[in-house]
Amino acid sequence: MPHQHIVKKFDKNLDKIKAAIVEMGGLVGQQVNDATAVLSAYDAAEVARITAYDRIINGLNKDIHDRAEILIVRRQPMALDLRQTLAPINIAGELERIGDHAKSTAKRAHIIHTIPPQDATLDLIAQMSVIVQAMLGDVLVAYGDADIDLAARIREQDKEVDVLNKQLVQVVIDALAKTPEMAESLIHLTLISRNFERIGDHVCNIARYVHQIVTGEDLKASSRPATPRTDT
Amino acid sequence: MDDPIIMARGVNIFYDTTQAIIDVDLDILPNKVTALIGPSGCGKSTFLRAINRMNDLIPICHMEGLLTIGGQDIYAPDVDVVALRAQVGMVFQKPNPFPKSIFENIAYGLKIHKMTASKTELQDRVEWSLKNAGLWNEVADRLDQPGNSLSGGQQQRLCIARAIAVQPKVILMDEPCSALDPIATAVIEELIDNLRKDYTIIIVTHSMQQAARISQRTAFFHLGSLVEFGDTKTIFTNPADERTQNYITGRIG
Repeated sequence: MPHQHIVKKFDKNLDKIKAAIVEMGGLVGQQVNDATAVLSAYDAAEVARITAYDRIINGLNKDIHDRAEILIVRRQPMALDLRQTLAPINIAGELERIGDHAKSTAKRAHIIHTIPPQDATLDLIAQMSVIVQAMLGDVLVAYGDADIDLAARIREQDKEVDVLNKQLVQVVIDALAKTPEMAESLIHLTLISRNFERIGDHVCNIARYVHQIVTGEDLKASSRPATPRTDT
Repeated sequence: MDDPIIMARGVNIFYDTTQAIIDVDLDILPNKVTALIGPSGCGKSTFLRAINRMNDLIPICHMEGLLTIGGQDIYAPDVDVVALRAQVGMVFQKPNPFPKSIFENIAYGLKIHKMTASKTELQDRVEWSLKNAGLWNEVADRLDQPGNSLSGGQQQRLCIARAIAVQPKVILMDEPCSALDPIATAVIEELIDNLRKDYTIIIVTHSMQQAARISQRTAFFHLGSLVEFGDTKTIFTNPADERTQNYITGRIG
C-alpha cells in the first residue's frame, strides 16, 4: 500500500472516488443481473424500471467525473495519484457503457418473450451473463485491492465469453435456416449476445486500468506499435 | 542522442565533516532543461553551485570526484574560475541586479571579460541580450535608469540578460521564480523554453509543477544522493523509486 499523504484530505478525496466507483459498479452489476432475469421471466414493469435506472447510473458517472476534476484542480496529482485520479474517469465510462448494454438487453426482452427462441440459445446467454457478472464483481475487488494478478485472470476469463458468443451466433445461423419465421427474435438474441460480449470487453478494459493504476503500464498502448515522440 | 555537455562522476561534496553530496554520477544533455528537485537540504543547490564553482567561496566546502563541462575538468588546477563563470552563468532565487543602470548591468560582464571591441558593439550586445531575455521592449527607453527600479519579474529577466550577455554554454538557475507572481513566473518559464535552443539550463525548483512544465529531464535528490534521474514525463508519471513517488505526491516517506 502507498504511504499516506501529508495532506490527509487528499487521501480522503481519493478514497471517496474509489468508493463511488465500487458503488457504481455494484449498481451496474445489479442492472446486468436484472436484465438477464427479464429475458427468462418477462416483466414489463421491471423492464421499465431497468430502463429508467440507467439515468441514475449516468448521474454516478458524472459525479465521478466531477470528483476527479476538482481533485485535479485542487491537488494537481502526479504519478500514482494522477493515475488514481484519471483511471476512475475511464472506469466510470466503462461502467456506464455496461449499464447501456444492460438497458439494451432489457428492452429486447419483449421480443424474446413474444417469440420465444429455443432454450439452448437462452442457456448460452445465461452462461455469458453469469461469467460477465462474476468478472465485474472480481474487477471491482481487483480495483479496490489494487490486485493486478486478479485483473490479469479477468482478462483471460473474457475469452470464455467470446467463445459462447460465437457459439450462439452459429446456433442462430442454423436456426434461421430451419425456422425463418423466428428471424426477428433470433436477430434480437444475437444483439443481446453481442451486449454480453461487449460487457466482457468493458470489464477487461477496467482490468487494464487497474493494471495501469498499479504499474503505470498501459496495456492497450503496449499492444500497439509505438509511435516516435519528440520533445515538446 | 547528443553527448552530455556536463558529466559528474563520483562527486562528493563536504561542508567541513558533513557530507552534502554523496557519490553522484550525472550526465546533463545540451540544449535541454534539467530540473533538480528534492526536499530542503537534499543537496540539489550544493550540486548546482558546484557546476560553476560557487562553492569555492565557502571555505569549509570541498569537493571530490570529477565534474566536466565540454570534456574539460572544471576543477583542474589550471582552470580560470572567472572564465568558467562566464561559461556557466547563474540566476539566483532573489533577483540581484547590480546597483547600476539597466545598461551597465548587462555591459559590466562584457567589459570585465573584454568581449566587445567598440562602444557600438557593446551597445549592440546589450540590446541583443535584453531582446533575448524578453526585456528590451519594456526598458529600451530607460536604459540609464537603475536596474533595481524594475519590477521583480523584470529584474529577474535583467539577471538572465546579464547571464546570457557573455554567451555562456550553461545557465544555472536556483529557484528563479520563487519570489515572483504567477504571471511573471509564466514569462520566465516561456523565456527558459526559448533559451534552451541556445543554452543548456539546469534549474533547482521546489515547484513540482514548474519542473514538470519546463524541464525535459529531472533529477531527484534525497539526503545528498541522486535517487532517480530520467525523462521528466517518466519521473512525474511513473517514477521507479518509491522515495521519488513519495516526494512528488506529497506522501510521508
